[in-house]
Amino acid sequence: MTLEVDNVSRTYLGIRRNGTQQVAALGPLSLTIPSREFFAVLGPSGCGKSTLLNVIAGFEKPDTGRVTLDGKPIMSPGPDRAVVFQEPGLMPWLTVRENVEYGLKLRGIKAHERRERAMHFLKMVHLSKYAEARPHELSGGMRQRVAIARALALEPRVLLMDEPFSALDAQTRDLLHDELQRIWIETHVTVVFVTHNINEAVYLADRILLMTAPPGRIKRLVRVPFARPRQKTSSDLSIFATMLQKEIKEEVDKVASREFDPDWTPATRSEVLVDPAAEI
Amino acid sequence: MSSAIRMFAKKLAVQIVFAGVLLLAWEAIVKVGGVPPYLVPPPTSVFAAFVDMATSGILWQSVGLSLYRMAIGYGVSLVLGTVLGILLARSWFVKTTAGSVVLALQSLPSICWLPFALLWVGIDERAILAVVVLGATFAIAVATENAIRNVPPIYLKVGQVLGAKGFVFARDILFFAALPEWLGGMKLGWSFAWRSLMAAELIRKDSLGMGRLLEIGRSFNDVPMMLAAILVIIVVGVTVDWGVFGTIETKVRRLYGLQK
Repeated sequence: MTLEVDNVSRTYLGIRRNGTQQVAALGPLSLTIPSREFFAVLGPSGCGKSTLLNVIAGFEKPDTGRVTLDGKPIMSPGPDRAVVFQEPGLMPWLTVRENVEYGLKLRGIKAHERRERAMHFLKMVHLSKYAEARPHELSGGMRQRVAIARALALEPRVLLMDEPFSALDAQTRDLLHDELQRIWIETHVTVVFVTHNINEAVYLADRILLMTAPPGRIKRLVRVPFARPRQKTSSDLSIFATMLQKEIKEEVDKVASREFDPDWTPATRSEVLVDPAAEI
Repeated sequence: MSSAIRMFAKKLAVQIVFAGVLLLAWEAIVKVGGVPPYLVPPPTSVFAAFVDMATSGILWQSVGLSLYRMAIGYGVSLVLGTVLGILLARSWFVKTTAGSVVLALQSLPSICWLPFALLWVGIDERAILAVVVLGATFAIAVATENAIRNVPPIYLKVGQVLGAKGFVFARDILFFAALPEWLGGMKLGWSFAWRSLMAAELIRKDSLGMGRLLEIGRSFNDVPMMLAAILVIIVVGVTVDWGVFGTIETKVRRLYGLQK
């Protein structure tokens, strides 16, 4: 199974002072994401990374090109491409378990079987004891775990994640990174993970797509060469992330110089880590 | 005894004492202050009037008839208002054409239609029901429309991903997502219908009803009966407003975690 992004581009109707005009947001861009890969999409804000994910999910139609899954073109959203959004989007009128079960119910899976499957995935995110709770009784991090369980329960061919942890506090986010790594090692589900957090991408992904300032194109495709399970604190990961940081900054600065007043210039940083003149 | 129960008991005791003091003061002012009892009767004669109405049966017939009219009129406007609201939220054509008409009619107190009803059909049962229906339908329509429009877009996306489309989406997701606000609209519609009905019943001469009790009292210069009728109208209104709608709304809001 492969996910093929073929020459996809997308423009928006932007509103400018002198009227509306088409603004190129994404691409054209081509990619092949093989089965069982954890693929991260990293780029400056507005580079079209969420647009790319929305096109893969089927929420948006590309202006040119197409996306195919196993050779079949994607026409509309569906459970074979489960999405975890930035907000959990749980249904407050259902219990946690019913939320996870709902997609299975629509597929006509029998009550006892979908209950079993829901409990299996709730165990995977360590929330089986909250199965009968309502979403509002859970913390933000727990709700996002339920959203992940709900997506996994669909047994999708691709799991799409659109900045799933960016609304969480730093400690909860760290915890969920570890969980997602473990879940991925367990399931080896194909993941497309959109983020603007470099460390997150380096920690989790097999490959990272660095996108350019809009219209988002491929700046570089990077393979993350570390075996799993990875250590968040490992210095290899930090050095790798620092390397990417420079490339991302070029694109972020490009976006900023378009948006800010003309007198803005990027901050220059010392390349030298230790000032040689300093007394040690 | 837990502190929550103690707080509740304290609140109740204060309220009972307050009501008692109020009634005593009222009785004392009327008896001692020389206010003519045919203008402001003391609470004891209001209570006597209430007992008279209750024993003669006129009270229960009136309450029954008014509630029956509400059940029919409000039931019709709930269906009409909801359908209209769904169309306003979902159909560009209906919103563009009927949208401003609905908003205009919603702002008009429905009792203003009563003179027309008088002219067209006379004050009969049809006129009363029409005023009730007109009073509630547009308020419910506008609230239903808003309830649907305010459903967070994330539910649409989640529904699409999980495979809920069309009718299934409307039944399983849209309905429940819109429910808290829709209930608010139902409550508002009820109070509009209630006000319209009381006004309409004041005018209709050949039938009973809670509004009519007031008018009967006036025609006999029976102020205690008028006050007793007012109290009955308040009690029935509060029972439905808070007892029925309030309870359902609170239950739903608690279930959703919108309220502790």
